[in-house]
Amino acid sequence: MSDAPRSSFPFQPILLGIGFLLLIAISVATTWLVNQSADDAAAVAHTLRVQDKLSNLLLDVRRAESGQRGYLLTNDQQYLEDYREVVPTFDGQIGELRTLTQDNPSRTFAFDEAAALIKTKISEMDRTIDINSSGDRQEALKLVLGGLGRDTMNRLRELVERLIADEGRLLDIRGERSRSNNFLLLMMALLGSAVVVLIGAASVFLVQRNYKRAEIARQTVEATNANLEQIVAYRTADLTEANEEIQRFAYIVSHDLRSPLVNIMGFTGELEALRQDIFEQVSKLQADLKGLNAQMEPGTAENVDRLGHDFDEAIRFIKTSIANMDRLINAVLKLSREGRRQFNPETIDMNGLLDTVTQTVAHRATEAGATITIDTLPPVESDRLALQQVFANLVDNALKYSRNDEPNRIAIIGQTHAGKAIYDVTDTGRGIDPHDHQRVFELFRRSGTQDKPGEGIGLAHVRALVRRLGGTLSLQSELGKGSTFTVTLPRRWTVEKRSAA
Amino acid sequence: MNSKMTELPVEIVMVEDDEGHARLIEKNIRRAGVNNAIRPFTNGTDAVNFLFGIDGSGTTNKGKPLLILLDLNLPDMTGIDILKRVKTNDNLKRVPVVILTTTDDAVEIQRCYDLGCNVYITKPVNYENFAHAIRQLGLFFSVIQVPAAE
Repeated sequence: MSDAPRSSFPFQPILLGIGFLLLIAISVATTWLVNQSADDAAAVAHTLRVQDKLSNLLLDVRRAESGQRGYLLTNDQQYLEDYREVVPTFDGQIGELRTLTQDNPSRTFAFDEAAALIKTKISEMDRTIDINSSGDRQEALKLVLGGLGRDTMNRLRELVERLIADEGRLLDIRGERSRSNNFLLLMMALLGSAVVVLIGAASVFLVQRNYKRAEIARQTVEATNANLEQIVAYRTADLTEANEEIQRFAYIVSHDLRSPLVNIMGFTGELEALRQDIFEQVSKLQADLKGLNAQMEPGTAENVDRLGHDFDEAIRFIKTSIANMDRLINAVLKLSREGRRQFNPETIDMNGLLDTVTQTVAHRATEAGATITIDTLPPVESDRLALQQVFANLVDNALKYSRNDEPNRIAIIGQTHAGKAIYDVTDTGRGIDPHDHQRVFELFRRSGTQDKPGEGIGLAHVRALVRRLGGTLSLQSELGKGSTFTVTLPRRWTVEKRSAA
Repeated sequence: MNSKMTELPVEIVMVEDDEGHARLIEKNIRRAGVNNAIRPFTNGTDAVNFLFGIDGSGTTNKGKPLLILLDLNLPDMTGIDILKRVKTNDNLKRVPVVILTTTDDAVEIQRCYDLGCNVYITKPVNYENFAHAIRQLGLFFSVIQVPAAE
């Protein structure tokens, strides 16, 4: 992890940022250049239009002149039609040109000059036409030959050609500028693209490097996981072994404790038989003594009675204790036997199972005035016998520890949640003191008033079974209100699950 | 309990490691009116030595009618080993073997019958039942026929 600070430096965001900034710059520049280019194109169009207008103007003046000449030559009024049509448009055309070129002050003088020349030309032409109309054709021709019209026309042509050439030069300059702009635009785009490609390449490199690092990290995690799994497997094996050892231990201990107990019981029985014999002998001796009229010490008979009484009391205590011990040993033996039993998972209709369970206690329930209701329960795949024992114990407990003042209402409900089947056995019985909520699950431990028969193994047994089935048993209870025992089971129990659990 | 073949009284070989149990068994058998000799052994080795002799052939008991009362949990070996040896020995294979033990494991019971045991009795843990069972066994002993070992 020595390269951690290096890898934490945010190369990628910075690169991305630079890339974005460049793209924005290129976009702005391109937009500007494209605008510029559009301006240039507009300028070119403008120049071409000015040139066009200028040519038209010159052409129209020529048209007027040729109309005048035609008239003068032929005296045909028809030739004057063109002339009359064209002449009134000159002012307008000059005006248009002035507006088009108002950004260029040098043009104003040129157009002033052109307007003056056109005016001179028109007045010369008007005069010749007027003279001709009055019938003096010679005079009119003389005026034409005088050369004023030709000179004016030549000057106008020169002026217009100069202006057209001038505009052409402007066009060249603008074209040049436009080309350089376009070149700049191209260069910008190329440079920008190159930088973006570079950034892209750098990003790909960084991403690949990061990916490789992530891959290495992933492999490390995988290895750690595998290791963890192995550790869990070892621990599970250890636990399973320890559990089996405890089961064996419980079995052997309870089994081996029975042998001496049989002796104790047996010889206690023998002692009782002996007492019978001894006291019979004593009675016989007493009778014999009485028959012989021998004098017994005073109080002997009472003493013998007392001894018999003491003897019986001792034997009674021994026998009760033996019975208790026998009960406890049998309980342990039963538990250890249950722990060794193989479970056979099968799909169980829980409503059917609980119907069977409640039927066996139906008579007791009726006598005690208790009601048992069973909800629709989800089926579960588990060991039938074990579940029968679990629910038989829970229902039996619910029924057993009822309150005297109130009829017990026992309800069994079920639901499924996240692969688990959850069953609640609820009663409105006497409840369990919160201090005893854990204790009631311990072997030989009981809670509350000890007024009901029991050995204190039911719940310990139930919890052991539920645990073996991969589930949990929990308790919610309030003293004097009732209890709810919740059995949570995996919906599908398999033999593998047990070893994994 | 006699043997019709030899008219000799049957000798009961009792292999029981718990001396208290042995005594209780003896007392209760006697109460059932069985007066046959009882030869008690508290471990497997001594019992095996008696049954099969020094050479392990069992010829020492040839012609003697025997009945074996066998506990499975012995300090030095399991009673199943003794049962197996008795039932595979040419001289002793017809000797009735009564298993009297605390184990009530179904597999164990099957195994003993498979090996040829004649009766399997679980010692009741409650003394009254125990005494009763032994007395019943005693009554049973008083009527059964036992062949002589060959």
